[in-house]
Amino acid sequence: MIEVTIQLLGFIAAAALVVIGIAGMLFLDNLIKKIIAFTLLSDGVNLLLVALGYIEGGIVPILMPGMSASEFAARAVLVFPVGIVLTNIVIGVSTTAILVALAIMLYRRYGTLKASKVLKGERR
Amino acid sequence: MNAYPSNLWSIPLLVVIPILVAVVVNLVYNRARLIKVISIASAICLALISLISSYGYHWFTGQPALRPETLTFTFDPGFPAWRLALEFYFGPLQQVMIFVMSLILIFVVAVATTGLTKRQGPYMGMIFLLFASAAIIIMVNDFYHLWIAVEIGSLVVAGVVVGSGTSVSHKAALKYTFFSALSGAGLAVALALILGLTGYSNISDAIMYIQSVNLGEMSVILYVAFGFFALSWIYAGGLAPIHPLKSEVYGASFPHGTAMLQTQSKLMLVAIGIVMLRVFGNLPFVREVMLAISVITMMLGVIMALIQTDFRWILAYLIVSHSGLVTVGISLGTTDGLTGGIFQAVNDVIYMTVLLLCCEALYYFGGKTSTRYSLGLAKKAPWLGMAIILGTMAASGIPPFNGFQSEIILIQAALKAGLPEVAAVILMVSVTTFIALFRAIYRLFLKPPETSEPVEEAKVPRSLYLGLWVFVAITLIIGVYPNIVVSFIKPVAEAVSIPWYL
Repeated sequence: MIEVTIQLLGFIAAAALVVIGIAGMLFLDNLIKKIIAFTLLSDGVNLLLVALGYIEGGIVPILMPGMSASEFAARAVLVFPVGIVLTNIVIGVSTTAILVALAIMLYRRYGTLKASKVLKGERR
Repeated sequence: MNAYPSNLWSIPLLVVIPILVAVVVNLVYNRARLIKVISIASAICLALISLISSYGYHWFTGQPALRPETLTFTFDPGFPAWRLALEFYFGPLQQVMIFVMSLILIFVVAVATTGLTKRQGPYMGMIFLLFASAAIIIMVNDFYHLWIAVEIGSLVVAGVVVGSGTSVSHKAALKYTFFSALSGAGLAVALALILGLTGYSNISDAIMYIQSVNLGEMSVILYVAFGFFALSWIYAGGLAPIHPLKSEVYGASFPHGTAMLQTQSKLMLVAIGIVMLRVFGNLPFVREVMLAISVITMMLGVIMALIQTDFRWILAYLIVSHSGLVTVGISLGTTDGLTGGIFQAVNDVIYMTVLLLCCEALYYFGGKTSTRYSLGLAKKAPWLGMAIILGTMAASGIPPFNGFQSEIILIQAALKAGLPEVAAVILMVSVTTFIALFRAIYRLFLKPPETSEPVEEAKVPRSLYLGLWVFVAITLIIGVYPNIVVSFIKPVAEAVSIPWYL
């Protein structure tokens, strides 16, 4: 029997967000909806990273006075997943901004947000 | 790798200077002359730094080696070093790659500041950020910086493409950014998996862990990480199956922008490819998968180039096809393969820059790049015609140009590995490249004009002609003296190589 832990729930939720995000990006026709799907994908990856770095009863990785090195090593959470999540949030915001800006420019040109019409092949 | 990294000041300058320039040229966005001076001076400065900098590390954070039994840090250089650090490494390979990139940057900046009348500041900023992202990827020795640089690089690519200001470029940028979201997320997951498996974000440390511990069933995680890594490798280089997206990006940009984009892309392919080889190269089937992707890219790219009717799009697909040539060598992973692959990347960015600058020059003769028109430009611009023919010879691997030297090493590497079919595909790519390019040159330059409508008289900027002939001269010099570059590449290839096992 698999034990249902917070970490496992985090993985399941992350997988669901990633799948919904990818499906939305691939199959939705509206550019804004595609962009929202991308944000779901990005959130899913963030949740996955948070869940990977989760330790039951973990502490902030700062060596406090009176704490032994072995206790610190056993309980301190990894710093990197947190750092990666923070960076990924910034990258996600930048990517969303660029996508929205491009969607606005294409809307002004074609008068629609339908990807099937806007992204039709054209070379000049 | 040394146990005790030295903090070289010159290494981060190669990243900090272009970022600062990007900020400054944005601030003075409407002062064309100032932007030109700042950009060219900075590009020359970057080339000089890459030439004079000593080899070594720049260490951002982390710690010295940790003694597991006492959990105390050691500064003993004899202790096997697991540095746990975020770091840049600058060696001979990084030197040659960054120097070539900065040389291309100088002329791209000169041509762009001469030709562009609007949005000069933001566009120049994007070009410099492109340089910064590629420099990080070339020098980085940790997964964290690698991922960030790939993400920044992909956003900046979209910016450079949008800079050309057409609706086609907006579409290409949008599609590319959507895919970058997928591959960036994939790379973040790969990074998390490797971090979870090994506990190290430093690439050398992670490799040391993977090689010293029996992973058993956990090696499945390594395969999943490889899958995500391969996704970002494919994305960075525009390899099959996303080659149409990347060629659209190349075709929709200004030719000088494409010169910088293809340089960033090929050098990223080399850097990420070497990381993949170091981390996953010993896993069964990994190199076969990389090789298959490379061969398919070469063939699809060159076939697509053959059916194009516009010189810009012919070049766009050839750039993608030649990315496959680069990755074939890296996928083989042998000393010859790696030498040939990296040498091909360096040569490729140089001769493709020649052809792209020629394409840029066509804009000054009425802007027609379609091969449906016969322009008879050989009479109007004989020097341009000469340069394009020499560039074509270099791209097709004809001696005595540089393309020949790297392609012959690649063919020998494929034959030594017992893969004559790969050698045959490399030959086919060379021949087909010549056919695709010469067909366009014949229509645009050699065939007499069909209509009496005169071709627009043009004054091609001197900086463009200067760049053209500097790069033509480099293709010839490297073609005659290949050791100028190979001597920088060979030691790295020997250190990283793995014998082919089929």
